[in-house]
Amino acid sequence: MIAILICQIVLSIGLASIFLIRPSVTTGVAWKIVAFIGLCVLPALCIVGGMNTHVQRSEQTRFCISCHVMIPYGQSLYVDDPAHIPAQHFQNHRVPADMACYSCHADYTIYGPLNDKLQGLKRIYMQYVTTPPDPAAIRISGGFKNAQCLHCHLGARDFEENAIHAAIMDSLTSNQMSCLTSGCHDTAHDVANLSHEKFWKPVQ
Amino acid sequence: MKLSAIGIRRLLQISSSLVIVGLLLEIVSLLWFHPLSFVLFAFVAATLIGLGILVYLVSLVFVVSPPAEKRG
Repeated sequence: MIAILICQIVLSIGLASIFLIRPSVTTGVAWKIVAFIGLCVLPALCIVGGMNTHVQRSEQTRFCISCHVMIPYGQSLYVDDPAHIPAQHFQNHRVPADMACYSCHADYTIYGPLNDKLQGLKRIYMQYVTTPPDPAAIRISGGFKNAQCLHCHLGARDFEENAIHAAIMDSLTSNQMSCLTSGCHDTAHDVANLSHEKFWKPVQ
Repeated sequence: MKLSAIGIRRLLQISSSLVIVGLLLEIVSLLWFHPLSFVLFAFVAATLIGLGILVYLVSLVFVVSPPAEKRG
């Protein structure tokens, strides 16, 4: 996909170079059309293609953990303890391994992806302009919403047939009670205690 | 307002330069796997390409047309 986009960009650069070196060629009708394609249509398509590629890339696990403060969160996916919810999801492929972060932290609403990207820009600002936070002190603004769990689990047989889930289903769907409530699924990314954990080593 | 042919050629050269620099930066941003690559693309490359397109469109709007009395 990126190769196709780069070919398109190179073609655009080639066409634009003609008009940089010899702008007088645009006196002919055919060249006027070529100029319109080379200086308007193709560059606009390159912006759209680039934006699409960058947005897709930002959903990848390796992109998320490419930020220094996120490295411990990436390591926490390999904790060898099924009580750690992110690790359990990641290691058992309950979420796509290459989109592990995005699967649970995406805002599944109409403007969710846009909000996610704006939050990402805010984090880049914090990383490079202000003081980056301590990884262990990072908290999701507004708390982790049940909708992010229920996006996949709601309607799943093993989730709905679970007696505890069935008893508190209304509280879960209305977000009155968090899935991460103490005593339930309360161990997420325990990055402060990673040094005490045993880690799973994938075969490949 | 009408621009001379030389002025339009100058605009085309400016437009081409902006588009070329923007596209080169887009290639860099695509090959660079880093959180800042999106910033480079969105705030620098796309802006330059967009400006290049805008300058080209401006050159179209203000293109020299033959005087009205010479037409038809």
